[in-house]
Amino acid sequence: MPYHLFKCSECIPERKEHAVIKGPGETLADALPLGYLNTIPGTISERGCAYCGAKHVIGTPMKDVIHLSHGPVGCTYDTLQTKRYISDNDNFQIKYTFATDMKEKHIVFGAEKMLKQNIVEAFKAFPHIKAMTIYQTCASALIGDDINAIAAEVMEEMPGVDIFVCNSPGFGGPSQSGGHHKINIAWINQKVGTFEPEIKSDYVINYVGEYNIQGDQVVMDDYFKRMGIQVLSTFTGNGSYNDLRGMHRAHLNVLECARSAEYICNELRKRYGTPRLDIDGFGFGPLGASLRKVALFFGIEDRAKKIIEEETARWKPELDWYAARLKGKKVCLWPGGSKLWHWAHVIHDEMQVDVVSVYTKFGHQGDMEKGISRCEEGALAIDDPNELEGLEAMDMLEPDIIFTGKRPGEVAKKIRVPYLNAHAYHNGPWKGFEGWVRFARDIYNAVYSPIHELSKLDISKDEIPTDKGFVTRRMLSDANLPEEVRDSTEMRPYSGNFDCLAGYEDREYPYMKTQPAPGAAA
Amino acid sequence: MTCELMERSRAGIINPIFTCQPAGAQFVSIGITDCIGIVHGGQGCVMFVRLVFSQHFKESFELASSSVHEDGAVFGACGRVEQAVDVLLMRYPHVKVVPIISTCSTEVIGDDIEGVVTKLKGGLLKEKYPGREVHLIPIHTPSFVGSMVTGYDVAMRDIVAYFAKKTEPSGKLNVMTGWVNPGDVTAIKHLLTEMDIEATVLFEIEAFDSPLMPSGNHVSHGETTIADLEGTANAVGTIALSPYEGGKAAKYLEKEFDLPTIIGPTPIGIRNTDTFLANLRKLTGKPIPESLVRERGIALDALTDLAHMFFADKKVAIYGNPDLVIGLAEFCIDLEMHPTVLLLGDDNPNYVKDPRIKALQENVDWDMEIVTNADFWELEDRIKNRGLKLDLILGHSKGRFISIDYDIPMLRVGFPTYDRAGMYRHPVVGYAGAIWLAEQMANVLFTDMEHKRVREWSLNMW
Repeated sequence: MPYHLFKCSECIPERKEHAVIKGPGETLADALPLGYLNTIPGTISERGCAYCGAKHVIGTPMKDVIHLSHGPVGCTYDTLQTKRYISDNDNFQIKYTFATDMKEKHIVFGAEKMLKQNIVEAFKAFPHIKAMTIYQTCASALIGDDINAIAAEVMEEMPGVDIFVCNSPGFGGPSQSGGHHKINIAWINQKVGTFEPEIKSDYVINYVGEYNIQGDQVVMDDYFKRMGIQVLSTFTGNGSYNDLRGMHRAHLNVLECARSAEYICNELRKRYGTPRLDIDGFGFGPLGASLRKVALFFGIEDRAKKIIEEETARWKPELDWYAARLKGKKVCLWPGGSKLWHWAHVIHDEMQVDVVSVYTKFGHQGDMEKGISRCEEGALAIDDPNELEGLEAMDMLEPDIIFTGKRPGEVAKKIRVPYLNAHAYHNGPWKGFEGWVRFARDIYNAVYSPIHELSKLDISKDEIPTDKGFVTRRMLSDANLPEEVRDSTEMRPYSGNFDCLAGYEDREYPYMKTQPAPGAAA
Repeated sequence: MTCELMERSRAGIINPIFTCQPAGAQFVSIGITDCIGIVHGGQGCVMFVRLVFSQHFKESFELASSSVHEDGAVFGACGRVEQAVDVLLMRYPHVKVVPIISTCSTEVIGDDIEGVVTKLKGGLLKEKYPGREVHLIPIHTPSFVGSMVTGYDVAMRDIVAYFAKKTEPSGKLNVMTGWVNPGDVTAIKHLLTEMDIEATVLFEIEAFDSPLMPSGNHVSHGETTIADLEGTANAVGTIALSPYEGGKAAKYLEKEFDLPTIIGPTPIGIRNTDTFLANLRKLTGKPIPESLVRERGIALDALTDLAHMFFADKKVAIYGNPDLVIGLAEFCIDLEMHPTVLLLGDDNPNYVKDPRIKALQENVDWDMEIVTNADFWELEDRIKNRGLKLDLILGHSKGRFISIDYDIPMLRVGFPTYDRAGMYRHPVVGYAGAIWLAEQMANVLFTDMEHKRVREWSLNMW
């Protein structure tokens, strides 16, 4: 078996089956770590809690909603300004978050009364917001407050408002993932089918598992609209509460992050017969294939083809410019869950980097299956990694760059490995054709940073180069490039703007007439 | 013209100013060398706190979780602490100090962390780690009591009380800084050096601003040692600079070891720094040297350039940790400004008795409100719906959108300040802090004058 036991984890042998090295000729049957099991306490794991998974990952991207946590103040503080999911209503949902502020007396005597007071106050403070989500926390779960009952009571007394309740306390499951599941199921049970949306196209989808990190959803939404497709709702990035109550009316669920949102797609299929189509907004190849798949479902392939051709012509020369310079750079792909398989193959194929390791904080075995099958031989795959294992892996693999979260990113920095934020991105969006070039540019800028170069020099021991007052990135990246690549006029670096989303909101999308399915009788 | 002290009247919080107690205990934990705290609760209670520390300092810090899942929440989770201690000690052989920090969940289920410690001492530590110095320190920080500020205060008291041991007099002074930045510790130590005073500074967190070294040093860590903590009992006295963050520890030492103790004021601004030096002189008998007279003079010179020309009558809102907020307000008043709203993010009953707050109530000659148990809505609602006009906001980054949306200039100060670079490096205390604060406030106002085209020409020949 290709299990890899880290030296630092020899004393906790149960960790052995959480890491594998994909050896030559090995199949998934040989090389699959355990996943989504209870965390070993005291390991300094990178995992979060189920409240985070429910509220912070999936709930809060909903934009026109008061997000109220029923508990002491900390959980709410933690979810204020720790994400980069934006929205087109001036980011209401990342600017405001609400806590019921549970104190000792509430723990003793119950907090239902003050919860109700909280709800009324919050709607009063923001009269234009008519929807609310309430999240249970560890404390309110343990004292047994009946949040659903209070919500029902308020909805009866305040007919104009609607409230969703998510009971996903922090201790619910090994990681964030428990919360993803709970909020998916709670949403379909409580809200789907309670609102009739306006249908404006013959092709109607829900875009599911998309959280609008740095504007991803805006970019993808634009492609769909250019194909004449109505995006009835987005679950949940930049998503509207009422639109999401109307999810049952879509013809197709287009699923992006299967880790966090496949549950609701599966339920929608079961309950409403809506098919699920898994897509991928990252990378020219997967994105093109995804747009074609969606188009194929509706019989409008020519519309997808047009977009793909236009966008590829515009952006491919820029992607290639970076790929030529990133070739062979070693990457540790250490995200939370789904990006390990969204990115594993395509950053290799399209940016020429080598994925030497994948890890997942809260993924399940299914995510590892996909990730491992897509990454290169010799790659080290780690489930629920911890601080020491991450360090040991970096020592062993000597990566050129790491894609991970903020905290492990700071650890990497100290051993002079640059990092990109895999969750929140550096200069995103990274979805879409332009976005993918922005990702490549972020990688390039990190790997060839002259400052990073300087951090490798020990002025007390090494010879200090005194012949230069500066170094450009090109001086570093192009030094060993073949002339025809270096001087190619076909390829060019990124030419977009700092804010590549400017102008999207003014775009107009003419109604596109239904096309008869190919071969169908006129 | 009144200064009114009031509590938030709404039940709930719209955008919190403070987080909860375990975060304060965790901040204490990272200040001690060879120490990794175990937070007993759900994983988010650690993950998010590590995140906000890394947002603020742009560094990673080590804190572990007992990772309580459903079974623990239902059947009790003391076993998770036992396992966490063992795993931590096995994998981090240098660790000697392990605070066990409770949270709301484990307080509600009633896990007996003292019992766990007793059991581990009699069992695991004896059998598996004989001869290894290990200190397990239970710290009760339920999230539904107090705030991050009291969490700091409680944890510091518990840790000092655990270690403090009377032996030989050390001749050193205990200086407790409160929840400050590395830049503040540097500034305080500079004053102590100039006064020729040997001191134990709690906590030694200058190393939170850690370098990127060729050898690769993977985490930042505080440098207060066990010996430092033990020695607190043998000091010539204690000065606690932040009554709400370290006051409890100072009082413990005073009561237990009869140490001469002075609590407060926070040395923000010239006047409070003067008082700090006077207190140092009082406790040690050391004179205030000429070098500090000169340093004070440089600060006064800088402030004179700014105060009556630019700061006079400017209306300021200040929020954050209580000792910081009160200190800033006092300094602003010396600079001829009008602190108009002070917001303290918790319901500490001592605020009403705080002599500094009483002095404000008795002496300010403009309308001023001090809101306790406050949230950010207390500030935003006043601006948006109640006609409050402000010239400047002083506070941490979580309030940044009030500044952005209402176009009010703001100086980031306190914790956390993640949306401005390197704020942790600069002091707000001491004469150096007075210079930094005044000049940064001025520059923020100047930038705003240019941005809004209001009397921007007046800077031509200032």
